Order: sequence, then C-alpha cells, then structure tokens
Amino acid sequence: MRLADRLLAVDRRIIYLLVGIGTLIPLLFPIGLPVTITPPVRSAFEKIESLPPGSVVVVSFDYGPSTAPENDPQADAVLRHCFARKIRVVGMALYSLGGLSVAVEEMNKVAAEFPLEYGVDYVNLGYKDGAQAALRRMNENLHELFPRDAFGRPVSELPLMQDVRSLREVDLVVSLATGIIGEWWINLVNAQFGTPVIVGSTAIGTPKYYAYLKARQAEGLLGGLKGASEYERMLSDRYPVVAEIYRSPTLYTATQGMDIQTIVHLVIIALVVLGNVLYFVSRFRPASGDRHA
Amino acid sequence: MPSIGTWLGALLSLAILSFLYKDNPLFRFAESLFAGVALGYYIGNQTNQTIKPNLVLALTRDFAANWDLIFAGLLGIGLYFRYIKKLAWLARVPLGIYVGYYVGVTITQKLHGEVLPQMKDTILPLSGPGLAPLWNGLMIVGVFSVLLYFFFSLEHRGAVGVASRVGILFVMVSFGAAFGYTVMGRISLLIGRFNFLVNDWLRPLLGAVF
Repeated sequence: MRLADRLLAVDRRIIYLLVGIGTLIPLLFPIGLPVTITPPVRSAFEKIESLPPGSVVVVSFDYGPSTAPENDPQADAVLRHCFARKIRVVGMALYSLGGLSVAVEEMNKVAAEFPLEYGVDYVNLGYKDGAQAALRRMNENLHELFPRDAFGRPVSELPLMQDVRSLREVDLVVSLATGIIGEWWINLVNAQFGTPVIVGSTAIGTPKYYAYLKARQAEGLLGGLKGASEYERMLSDRYPVVAEIYRSPTLYTATQGMDIQTIVHLVIIALVVLGNVLYFVSRFRPASGDRHA
Repeated sequence: MPSIGTWLGALLSLAILSFLYKDNPLFRFAESLFAGVALGYYIGNQTNQTIKPNLVLALTRDFAANWDLIFAGLLGIGLYFRYIKKLAWLARVPLGIYVGYYVGVTITQKLHGEVLPQMKDTILPLSGPGLAPLWNGLMIVGVFSVLLYFFFSLEHRGAVGVASRVGILFVMVSFGAAFGYTVMGRISLLIGRFNFLVNDWLRPLLGAVF
C-alpha cells in the first residue's frame, strides 16, 4: 500500500490524539496570542459603558453546563463590567437543565471579587419555567413571576427589587444563551417592549444572531469563546481593577482559551489540506498496470 | 487534594472520553448516569423554582388573592390524564389551551419580532458613500436568490434556474460560516473539559502528592 493510501486510511483515533495534543500543549504552556476586537463585541461593550452607575441590567443565564466553557467567560466578563461600573444586576435563568446552577455559581464567584451587598447591588431571581409566557409576564410584573429569589427569600423584601417591578425599569438585558432563548429576548422582549438586548451566544448559534444585529434588533453580540476573549481584552484595557483579576494565575480566561483554539484550528486546517492533497494524489496517479508497462 | 466532587467529575469525564477509543461499559455507565441525573435535576428544578413558589406557596399563603391559580394547577394535572385510559380524552383540554396560547404568542412574536424587522432591513438604498451600495446590492441579491432557490412553484430553468444557482452559492457560504463556528464551539467544549481535568483535578492532585 502506498504512503498516500495509508495516510488516507489513517485510524480516526490518531486524529483525535493530534487534536488532544494540540489542546493540551497550549493549555500547559500559554502562548499569549493577541486578541483583535470586532464591531459586534465593541458595540456590546460600549452599550454597557454608556449606562450610568445605578442602572439596572438583567443578566439572564439561558445556558447550562453543556455550553459553560463558552458562556461562563462571557457571563464573568459582563458581570465584572457591570460591577466595576456600579451597575445593579438582576440575575435570572430560563434554561431548565442547569441554568439555575450556573447563575448561582457565576454570580457568587464574580460578586465576591467586588465590595457588593446581595439584595442591594445584585439579586439572583433563580429559574422560571414558561418560556415566552414568562417573558411576557416579566414586562407586566416581575414580582408575581418571581415571588421568591433563587434562595427562597421573598423578592419584595430585597431593596433592589423595590426599584424594579417589571422590565420597564430595566435599562438593558444581557442574555447568555444556548439554543433559542436569546432569540426570544430579541424578537419578543425587544420587539414588543423595546428593552435593549445584548446576546452572548454559543459559537454554533452565532451566525443567526448576526441577522438581528444587522437589523439593530440587538445592541451587541458576543459570539462564543472569541467574543468573550474580546470582551476580556476591552475590559482589561479600560478597568485596571478588572485587569488585575484577569492576571490571576489560577483564573482560566477566554483569552487563554483562544490560544488553544488557534493551535487546534491549525491542526484541523493542516489535516483538511493534507486529506485533500492525498485525495487528489491518489485520484490522479497512474493505474498500477501502467506502472509495469 | 481535589474534592470528591472534582474526583467524580474527572473520572466521569474520562469515562465519557473513553468512547473516542471505542465503546465500552464505563462509557455506557457514565452516559446513563448523566441522563438520570439530568432528569432528576430537571424535576427538582421545576418543582422548587416554579411549582412551589408560583403555585403551592401562592395558594397556601394568600388564597384570596391567588384562587384563580387553582385553574392553572388543574390544567397542569389534567395533562397527566393521558395515562388513565378511560379519562385520557380529558388531557386534550389542557393540551389544546397550551397549544393555542403558544401558537398565538409565537405568531405575533415571529411576525412582529422577526419577519417584519428583517424585511425592513432588506429594503436598502443602492446609493451612498464608499462601498455601501455594493454591500447593499449583495445583500439584496442574496436574499432574493435564496428565496427563489426555496420557491418550488416555478421550475428552476432559464433565468429562475440561474438565480436559484446563485442562491445556492449564498446558502453554501452560510453553511460554511455555520460549520466554522460549529468547529469553534466544539473545540471550546473540549478546551473546557481539558481545563477542568488539568487545572482543577491533575494540578491539585500532583501538588498534594509531590
């Protein structure tokens, strides 16, 4: 068997191994590749930047552990931005399989980095079922939809929620979304009630959100890990206190993740090119009978 | 030393990743465990975060203000009549209300929030500064040719055939972009798992041992 044929018939587990090695090496030895900022992320950043201190932002955790490696860095960056600007945050979750858990974990983790008081500077309303019905209700009465927060405390007793009775008192919604929930915030809440919306989507969901962004139905878009890394870059450049957090050696960031993405993409591109070259070599080589002629 | 939760997570992650080598009982155990835990989480989540605060506590603490929730509760229970043969027909009532409500909401949502704004954004000027006319023209050609590609009441021959061929090119570019993003998304998930295994499990473990 020729080398080209042998390579074309290579065991797929060899490819898994190469991708695994490509992931592991930059994870152990970070490269620090530069991050370029794209307009959708800049637009999202500037929107939050334009809100005065004391504004209210809803951060909706519309994802679960299955996409946490993409959405967690987005959530962390947006929360750090809001808290650094003294913007009040109302957290909630609309994704049933783990939305509540990531909301509790991420909000507690990031809030601990700032001198904040629960109930005054931020609240976590927890998970609510009902899909579009829940979103419609939010515009009428948040307190009836969320009578208790994620930890069972009556929402009416939380000082921050005295100022926020419905989405009408909310300045911006940031939906960190897997699947279709980010679209609901845009084509229901933004379209019908006019609340500005930013979406942090998984990479797979990102292409469809560009249509909403271009039609100005969304204020900004953080697409996958790349979007999160761009946000981290802008945040670190603008806020030294946040830059200090991102410099922590024990903190995994989207920027580090993009180093790994780059290496693995190079491995995949090399494999695609090699596969195509070998395919054409094997296709156009002379038949075995011709060689003996 | 890593916590018990981290150990469980790491070992189950390795069990799932072992499928890349070949199917095995450890992978099937981890897969079944994941499905079971996910279902349990779902039931607990719905009960504690929605049914309890929005129905049970609302009725028990202030019945006079919330008595109408009884109807919502009965409709929810009614869905389960499908498991009793003689009363299965009763389940159609709440299902009908449920479907009717969401169809009504979704039609308005799609038309008002998606179809009309997207149509409006396609009505673009073919004049303007710089490359704007070119990009706007490209957008218009793309939208119409793709729509024509999916229009099956006309045979795709002649001018319609040419336009639909252009449409398929736009569709292919769109698929290419979606595929590229899909690769990035999947690699992100792999990075997340490797990061957990290396930084949350292996490093503390090696630090504790050596």
